[in-house]
Amino acid sequence: MRPIELSNVTKVFNHPMKVWQKIESVKNLTFSMEQGEIIGFVGHNGAGKTTTIKMIMGFISQTSGTISVFGQNPGDRVTKHKIGFLPERPYFYSQLTSMELLKYFGGLSGIKGSVIRSRAESVLKRVGLYDAKDRRLSSYSKGMLQRIGLAQALIHDPELVIMDEPMSGLDPLGRHEVMEIIRSLKHEGKSVLFSSHILNDIENLSDRVLIIDHGHLKYFGKIADFVRPSHVRYTIEFATPEPMTETIFLLFPGVKIVSDRYLLECSDISDFNSKITDIVKRGFMVYNAKADYPSLEEIVFNTSGEEK
Amino acid sequence: MSRILGVAYYTFIEMIRDKVLYLLLFFAIFIIAIGIGITQMTIGSELDIISDIGLGTIEIFSTVLSIFMGISLVRKELKEKTLHPLLARPISRAEYIIGKFCGMSLMIVVEIALMAVIFAILLLIYGGAGRFITFIPAFYTIFLQTMTVIAAAVLCSTLTEQAVAAMLTISFYIVGATSYNLVYAITKRSSELTIRVVNTLRYILPDFSHFNIKDNLVYSVGLDQLSLGFATIYALLWVAIILSVAVALFNVKEIH
Repeated sequence: MRPIELSNVTKVFNHPMKVWQKIESVKNLTFSMEQGEIIGFVGHNGAGKTTTIKMIMGFISQTSGTISVFGQNPGDRVTKHKIGFLPERPYFYSQLTSMELLKYFGGLSGIKGSVIRSRAESVLKRVGLYDAKDRRLSSYSKGMLQRIGLAQALIHDPELVIMDEPMSGLDPLGRHEVMEIIRSLKHEGKSVLFSSHILNDIENLSDRVLIIDHGHLKYFGKIADFVRPSHVRYTIEFATPEPMTETIFLLFPGVKIVSDRYLLECSDISDFNSKITDIVKRGFMVYNAKADYPSLEEIVFNTSGEEK
Repeated sequence: MSRILGVAYYTFIEMIRDKVLYLLLFFAIFIIAIGIGITQMTIGSELDIISDIGLGTIEIFSTVLSIFMGISLVRKELKEKTLHPLLARPISRAEYIIGKFCGMSLMIVVEIALMAVIFAILLLIYGGAGRFITFIPAFYTIFLQTMTVIAAAVLCSTLTEQAVAAMLTISFYIVGATSYNLVYAITKRSSELTIRVVNTLRYILPDFSHFNIKDNLVYSVGLDQLSLGFATIYALLWVAIILSVAVALFNVKEIH
């Protein structure tokens, strides 16, 4: 049974001011998640990430298409036992302590009273909040609230963890710790769907990446497969035994001078190979020849709006 | 059931710590000031007046608190999105609404009990401590009325924004508090058709006169035991109807 399956899911909202206008937030979104994998969910603000997550959680219903969570409709009570959820910018009951919050949510998730305290303590240690367990949440910083959000998502040992911007508000150390927790969830065989603006995190953690833009699916698959040959940047750095700048500019249009060397960019792998051969044949000295693979961030931001 | 109790318990804890009980301080100051004022202005029937005003003040304070709590709790959860991690749990929306209602009702019980203690101290000061025991049924009917108002506030807060929800709930209270006298006044001097319409409306609109027993107790008119039973059934019926509508609407509400 797949943890999540979406087929042609569309969500249309009424315009808040102009009732005759509709806003298509998500359009024909199709993807499925395998047990034990981590999917990173990428998109600009307003791309439809949070709307998709809310539909999966059953907070809002889809206008068309089908959503299945462990083979059931979203919001099914039995299925909710298997899901841990961290909302974007989590707020909790400010007058409760983190221990009370975990007891409350753990109890609602069916954890027995006799084990709930030890379970809560273990989760609080895992997210680094054990020492603050008896402090009210009103005194917590944004980063601490993010951590308690993660703790409440894990209190009932769910099979699937859905996190909307889990790194938001965390300092670099906090981000690293959350990344380690996500990795450890994978080792425990859990499935994780998380959205993030920090694409480096997605790149480091995800088995597959889901990219949406203006509600449309741009790409779903492995990150390595997302990188097309045209995304790779080929460069050759060389020098000549004696000054011959004018000749070099004639031979290699577009060449740049960087300190006392020339830097030549090639359009693709065959151009790269032929230019290296030419440079070597002419007796010039090659200092560096490399193929740079861009980060996910560079590709996503450079191809925004372009159909992938 | 345990999930409803869980929501009720933590709703109660959250409210107790949220300085809601500060309202009691205002109650204490207000009722003591009334006591001092009355003893300086009247001769003879101070205790009757203090009792009347004391019970009336408890009713007003608990109504204000119930409107304030009812409209803010659910609306606040929707606005601040504390609802999302809660509804991600294996809990139905009906259990959430009923749990919230029970937590708020428990809070009102505590609030009325504490106001009753302050009121008892005032009676003791003015030599009327013995009267307190006769007022216990009045505290109970104030609770029944307040419970009905809480249910209305919860319904309104699931429907609309806080300010509109407050106005709707206050309107509900005003209709409930005045419908009996209004119907009485209209049926005295209207046409037969109007009387029929008004009499029909009487069964549809809330009528809080069923909860108003304080005059009977203060002026020792006597209390029909059946009226307490009827008031209980009347309140429970209203609460059941209002909460059923609230649950039905909340079940289809999109939680953004």
